[in-house]
Parts: sequence; structure tokens; C-alpha cells
Amino acid sequence: MASTIFRSFQTHPFVFHPTTLLRRKNVLLYCTMRSEQTQTATQEKVKPQVKVSNLNPNKKLENISKDYEAVIGIETHVQLSTQTKAFCSCPYNYGSQPNTSICPICMGLPGALPILNVKVIESAVKVGLALNCKLAMNSKFDRKQYFYADLPKGYQISQFDVPIATGGYIDLDIPVEFGGGHRKFGITRVHMEEDAGKLMHSDDGSYSQVDLNRAGVPLLEIVSEPDMRNGIEAAEYAAEIQRVVRYLGVSNGNMQEGSLRCDVNVSVRPIGQLQFGTKVEIKNLNAFSAVSRAIDYEISRQVLLHSQGQDKEIVQETRLWEEGAQKTVTMRKKEGLSDYRYFPEPDLPEVFLTQDYVDGIHNSLPELPEMKRRRYEKMGLSMQDILFLANDMNVAEFFDTTIKKGADAKLAANWIMSDIAAYMKNEELSITEVKLSPQELAELIASIKDGTISGKIGKQILFELLAKGGTVKGLIEEKDLVQIVDPAEIEKMVEKVLSENPKQLDQYRGGKTKLQGYFAGQIMKLSKGKANPGLLNKILLEKLNAKS
Amino acid sequence: MGSRALLLVSSSLLPKNQFLPNFNSHRKIPQVLHRRRSFSAATTAGSSLEPLDVPRLAETARISLTPQEVEEFAPKIGQVMEWFGQLQAVDLESVEPSIRADTEGDNFRADVPETVENRNAIIAAIPNYEEPYIKVPKVLNKE
Repeated sequence: MASTIFRSFQTHPFVFHPTTLLRRKNVLLYCTMRSEQTQTATQEKVKPQVKVSNLNPNKKLENISKDYEAVIGIETHVQLSTQTKAFCSCPYNYGSQPNTSICPICMGLPGALPILNVKVIESAVKVGLALNCKLAMNSKFDRKQYFYADLPKGYQISQFDVPIATGGYIDLDIPVEFGGGHRKFGITRVHMEEDAGKLMHSDDGSYSQVDLNRAGVPLLEIVSEPDMRNGIEAAEYAAEIQRVVRYLGVSNGNMQEGSLRCDVNVSVRPIGQLQFGTKVEIKNLNAFSAVSRAIDYEISRQVLLHSQGQDKEIVQETRLWEEGAQKTVTMRKKEGLSDYRYFPEPDLPEVFLTQDYVDGIHNSLPELPEMKRRRYEKMGLSMQDILFLANDMNVAEFFDTTIKKGADAKLAANWIMSDIAAYMKNEELSITEVKLSPQELAELIASIKDGTISGKIGKQILFELLAKGGTVKGLIEEKDLVQIVDPAEIEKMVEKVLSENPKQLDQYRGGKTKLQGYFAGQIMKLSKGKANPGLLNKILLEKLNAKS
Repeated sequence: MGSRALLLVSSSLLPKNQFLPNFNSHRKIPQVLHRRRSFSAATTAGSSLEPLDVPRLAETARISLTPQEVEEFAPKIGQVMEWFGQLQAVDLESVEPSIRADTEGDNFRADVPETVENRNAIIAAIPNYEEPYIKVPKVLNKE
């Protein structure tokens, strides 16, 4: 559902924040110009498709922005949807009563020892392979030590210097409305770790409350190379990570639920400078749109400071994104770097992967979003269609099944993206929940194609099929919907309507040719919608013009 | 939380009286400890460690020490580190670096949920429990 929400965001990006409308356009202009000029090995050219707006209060900022390049990296934490936690057999269910899913292990009680959940390694290998990484056949866990109320053991079991996967990349396509284009972003590493509990502060601030249900839930941390250059690229990267983990079935990737968390690192530097600028981390991003807007804001903030000669004001810190105010604000400034005193976790053995194990997982991987998109491209579908279909694994599956039954790809895509998608949105159903089956959609398309029913009737049947199921053939028979293609029969109906409407006929003969539509409507009504529209109009026109 | 092996780390603090350096014991160091590579962020590559800073050590471990105790502990901790420092004498030229000191194989658990039996006992042991949360003092800063 989150992905469809994002999709609707993508098609209407300016609806919710009219005050940022102009700024968005400016940044977009800035972005596309930037993308054109900065040629990194991993990026391709973006065609600038944005018109310069005449009203331009931020023109000054736009001019300054031309001289700077933003460098963005993202750290994503993916909460794995395993049945149990990483190191103990406690189940995890989002929204459970606090402190009901706990045991001595995840609470860090004395004497308890962690035991690794097999599914965690399986998920990590799946993600590593999907992100084209090099897998470490031998890796280990380490203790990351710090004190905080939501960290029961006083350390987090993580992986420090030997992560399970390194050096990969991810392919994605920027949506058409943001300039389009293909991108390839590097992935630095993927590693396994455990989540902390939840800490809440009391209203009066005098004490805090801890819920350890979430403590010990397995996470995968995915760190990207600093390859992104603007908010759109970053948001699309995050969306692609979500797609991949959903396709793999390792996580439900919901930013709102917290099963997908993104922390963004942003810095700017003058064009041409090799050295990176000071890096600022942004936290508290709860949606892809927030990722995009927060980055754009932060880039503007840093560029402005640079242009005023105050770039020293940019310090390495963590800032929070405030959704209400639409800006980033300083969290507490850190005094020095944290010393986590990493050392290998003595309570867990080394993680050994065999080539057979890896190959087994590799062979079980589903067709990933990137592969689907490239396959759909070969079929001749437009990028807009491709992005819609490949966004949700179930929609893609529905589409694939439909065309396997022989339906034309473009027609199938159109039906899915328009009428079926609209129905799903209205009824708040996913494609797996609608009563229409892909087989019947193929049948519907075929019936229209071979003229058995008209397109209009097809739409009516579709609605029925979506709501109640059934078969196309069955409905055609039951409701007597076969298209009328016999010219003689249509001629009879045309003559009947014309004879019943002498006044309009005279008006038409007098010059009101628009009335053809009126007649057509009446004839269609008479035929109960079954007359073939093309044939109807041909015969109608003949009759109308004949007697003059 | 039990620990089976303790690797050389600059800031580990041992409980009093548990580990007295005994240079005359001639104890055989277990085979597995011969292969050691420190990956700790705090150590520099090779053999030199940061000079011992007991107050900082105590701060990171959240253990409060009086100035007297700091003075008392410094040489003792130093001695323990020297004792471990003997490992530096081992010639590692022809040895493959290993990731961990353990040579045991996998130890996995199937992904099957189990509810804990004595949840009530666990809850009862929480020092300050205000149903359904664990109550803690307000701390603003993560370390």
C-alpha cells in the first residue's frame, strides 16, 4: 500500500505543498542541470525536461546552486520479517502489548546466551545477492558497546569490520515525471545486527519508559556509496530498496511501521572540487517524500552558507527533519566521536557460508524489479507502464500471468493501470484480493479484440468481474452482451431511431451536424449498448447523408 | 552474559582479584590464542596501545572511582595488560590471520517462536516496573 501511495505522490508531487511548488521546480531545474554536468562512472545523462518558471523568487538560490554539487549517501535499516528475533525464540509482532515478547536473552539477563536464527543469515545472503554484492564466506559478529536505556545488554550485537556482504550496486529508473533516466548506485556493505527496544519520554520529562518487545529483532543495515546527487535520486534509491526487500520476501519494508528506516548523509562541494564537504546526517525521515524534501532543504541550507562565506558553520552533526516546519534542525551537537569499543562477539561462532548454500539461495531468488523492468522494456511498454507494473510484485505477477494467457502486453497494462487500479484504490484492496483473475482478464481482452463484445461492454463486465468474480464467457451469455455486428440489424435500428426523431433529423439536415452524436446515443441505447460503434456510425452517416 | 574468550582490548576492565598476573605459572596458552589479530578500533596496527587512561576507562564503563582507587588500579591494570602483552612475542609471519578465536562450527536455531514460561518472574525482577513499561530515569544523550 505504501508503494501505491508513493506512486500517487509521484504523479502529483505538487499537490500537498503549494508553498514549496516553486522551490521544487527550482530544485528540479538545479537537479537536472547538475545531473547533466556531473558525470560519475555510475550515472548516465539526464535530459532536462523542466521549463524555467517565470515567477522565480528563488532565482538567486538557483543561480548559486549551479556552482555546487551535492553528495548524498544513505544508511537503511531493514527490519526482517522472521518469525522470531535474531538471537532468541521470542516472536515479534508490530503493535503488541509492551513487554509481552521478552525472555532472558533479549533482556540481557545474566547468564543468557544468544543463538543465531538461521533465517537471518538466509535473508542477509538473499539481500547481498540481490544487491550484486560480494559475500564474505567467513564473517563474524561484534559487540558495539554503549549505554542507553533501550539497549538491555549495554551492547548491540552487530558486524563491524567483516560484514556479510560488500561492494555491490543497485539499478533503478527515475520516474518519468522527475526527468526519467537510469541510475546505478553503489552499495558499500550489508550487515546483520539486532534492534534496540523502544524508549519513550514521559510528558513532564521527569522519567522515561522502555518497551523491550523490539529488542533483539533482526535488522539488515544497508550502506550505500555516496553516489546520489539530489533528493529525487535518494528517494528513488530508498523506494528501490523497499521494492527489493519486498520482492525477496525478507521484510515488509514499511517506513511508517519502522520496518524500513533511512538515515541520510548530505554534503555539498563546489563543482570540480574532489574533496568532500562536511557531512551532515539527517534522521527522523518517515516517508520517501520526506527523504526527498529533507535532502533538498539541507542542500539549500548548505549551499546558502557556502555562498555567504559561512561554510565553516556547517559542522559534522546529526539533524532532525521536522515534518511540520519542513526543515532540518540541530539535534544535540556531539562532543567528539563515539568510541564503541568493538570486539568480536565471543558468544557467537563464526558465520560460515558454503558455495552450495549460496548457490541454492541464488537459484531460489525471484525475478527482481530491475530484471522485470528490463524485460518489460523489451516488450515495448512505456517507462510509465513499466514503473507501475514492476513496483508491486503482485501486480507484476498478475500482469505476467495475463500475458502468458496470450493477451497483448500493452492492452493488459492499460487495463491494469486504469480501471483495475482505480477499483483497487476505491475499495482499498490489493490486487491479490480482487475477484478478477488474470485468466479472465486475458479472456476479456481477447473477447474485445475478436469483436465478440465492444470495448464499452468490456468495461462493464470488468467491474462485475472485479467485484464478484465469474467468467467472461459466463457473463456474456448470462446478460446477452454479444456485440451486434450484423449491418442489416444495425440498419434496422438506425432507421427506427431516425424515423422516431423527425425534428432532430430536420435539424441535422439543416446543418446541425453535431446531432449525429445524439442519434448514435439513441441507437446505442436501443441496442442495449451492444451495437458495434464503428459500424453504427458508418451506417448512420450513410443514412443521414443519403436522403438529402 | 557469559564470555568464553577474552581478547586483548585496551579498555576492558576486569573484576577485582579475579585475574592476578602470575608469571611463574608456566601455564600453556591454549593453541587457539596463538592466532590473534586485533580488529578493535581503539588499537593501532601492530603492537603499540594507547597509554592507560584509567579515568576515561572508568567513564566509558560507567564505573565511578575515587581518586584513590584510580591510583590503586592503574598499576594493576597495567600489569594485566603487560601479561597479555607477552603474546606480542609470538611470530605470526607464517600464520593465516583468523577472524575469530573460536574453531567451533555453526550453532543455529530454527525460526520457530516459543513463549517464555516464567514471564512473571522476569517482570517481578524489574527494579522499577510501571505496567506495561519499564520505568527508567530520563537520559537525554546516547553515549
